[in-house]
Amino acid sequence: MNKLMVESINEYMDEIIERWTTRMKEEKGERFFHFMPDHLVDKTSREFAELMTSNIRETSSIDSDKINEFTEKIVRFGWAIKFVNKAIDNFSNVVFELLEEKDVITDENLRRFIVLFSSWINPLRESIIDAYSTEWERTVSLQKIALQELSASLIPVFEKISVMPLVGTIDTERAKLIMENLLEGVVSQRAEVVLLDITGVPVVDTMVAHHIIQAADAVRLVGAKCMLVGIRPEIAQTIVALGINLNEFTTKSTLQRGMQAALGMTNREIVEVNGQ
Amino acid sequence: MKTRIPILKLNEVLIVSIQWELDDQTAIQFQEDLLNKMHETSALGVVIDLTPIDFIDSFIAKVLGDVINMTGLMGAKVVITGIQPAVAITLIELGIRLNNVMTALDLENGLDKLTKELEA
Amino acid sequence: MNLGSSVEIITEWDIVAARQLGRNEAKQVGFGTVDQARITTAISELARNIYLYAGKGKIEIERISEAGLVGIKIIASDEGPGIPDLRKVMEDGFTTSGGLGAGMPGVKRLMDEFKVISEVGEGTTIITTKWLH
Repeated sequence: MNKLMVESINEYMDEIIERWTTRMKEEKGERFFHFMPDHLVDKTSREFAELMTSNIRETSSIDSDKINEFTEKIVRFGWAIKFVNKAIDNFSNVVFELLEEKDVITDENLRRFIVLFSSWINPLRESIIDAYSTEWERTVSLQKIALQELSASLIPVFEKISVMPLVGTIDTERAKLIMENLLEGVVSQRAEVVLLDITGVPVVDTMVAHHIIQAADAVRLVGAKCMLVGIRPEIAQTIVALGINLNEFTTKSTLQRGMQAALGMTNREIVEVNGQ
Repeated sequence: MKTRIPILKLNEVLIVSIQWELDDQTAIQFQEDLLNKMHETSALGVVIDLTPIDFIDSFIAKVLGDVINMTGLMGAKVVITGIQPAVAITLIELGIRLNNVMTALDLENGLDKLTKELEA
Repeated sequence: MNLGSSVEIITEWDIVAARQLGRNEAKQVGFGTVDQARITTAISELARNIYLYAGKGKIEIERISEAGLVGIKIIASDEGPGIPDLRKVMEDGFTTSGGLGAGMPGVKRLMDEFKVISEVGEGTTIITTKWLH
């Protein structure tokens, strides 16, 4: 019985894959296959079919290594979990229909085949979804670390003057990290003026402004001055519109102007020297 | 048990280096000692160095704030130096801003700042 | 896993003892210098509140672990007068002792989780947690 099914599936494998691929392409709102080159679609489909049939013999258990390897790939391809689920459904339907057409499944053995199918597909689905979500979580946490690494380093530019360019959205967690890096940097670089460059910060709302004000306050406590530079016109507009008060610390439109002011605060200036 | 924080005089300036964690009594004793010393020496400025201090709670912050205000009343200027990053962050998160205080990275910078301020 | 220790708060010196204990625990759990300062300061504020308002009480410090995270939990409890208006106490700048009013909202900002249980005439318990990220 089981042997019959395995043999039939192996025999009609090419047809199963073809039907499955067609059906997946017809899925409403499906775009994963359309963006992939044909040979990759073919290769992935084959791998999927192999994976789907890997546990079909009762003696063989689910190969978790193979599942992990495959899910890692489809997470990278950007397949949604809904799509993966659909793929499993479609595969099982295609196989069932084909076996019916070829008279492998008949009215008499229908019930036994249904049991056989569910004991084949269900554990497989569970394992794939499980591996998928694990892989997804891993990707998210890696991206989180990558984002943190991107956060803010203080760069010494001149003696007593350092610059911290801020890039990207600032949330509470990042704000804490920025503050720590900023203060440790001020103390270790013996900076007297630090320029916080927010050119790369897309939105300055009340919360971001609050974090910046706190950072500037803390910088003052350790004994340096904080200057906010890189304020674009739209940022100036939102700051005023939100009623955020930045009067207490120096702000400049560009890093260049800020640097001039910082040199002035430390009693220095840039002078041009004549060639020759 | 009473520990006292030593207060040194250098020309017109008093120098205080707080070397260990302040308990309440020591903090209050320090406030008194400093004001007396200022009166005796008619110093024009004070530098308080907090480099070894790894935490300040709202009570000690209040004592420090009071010292600064009182010193101001007596016509002298105060510079706080060497506040550690961790201390600065906790103070800000507690909501203590120490607004009207001059600060500097270390004792040397602090003395420079104070001298400039006194000359002006 | 609950490793813990506690300090009775009766005199001003017990505030120092409590925060020293907290600092040591925080160090052993593996917190960095900034978090060590946050935890030490929070304990100092809580212990001082007990000393000022309840007269006596207890600070318990526990190491905790949950869902792969480790952290430190501080329980400050007293049988003092209790807090009549909790919302008011959690407002920035509210004080009855002439302090800086950093007290409770300040502690909440320093830590990750913060809970107050208080009944007038029965006493107050504050439970606050910091996780090692």
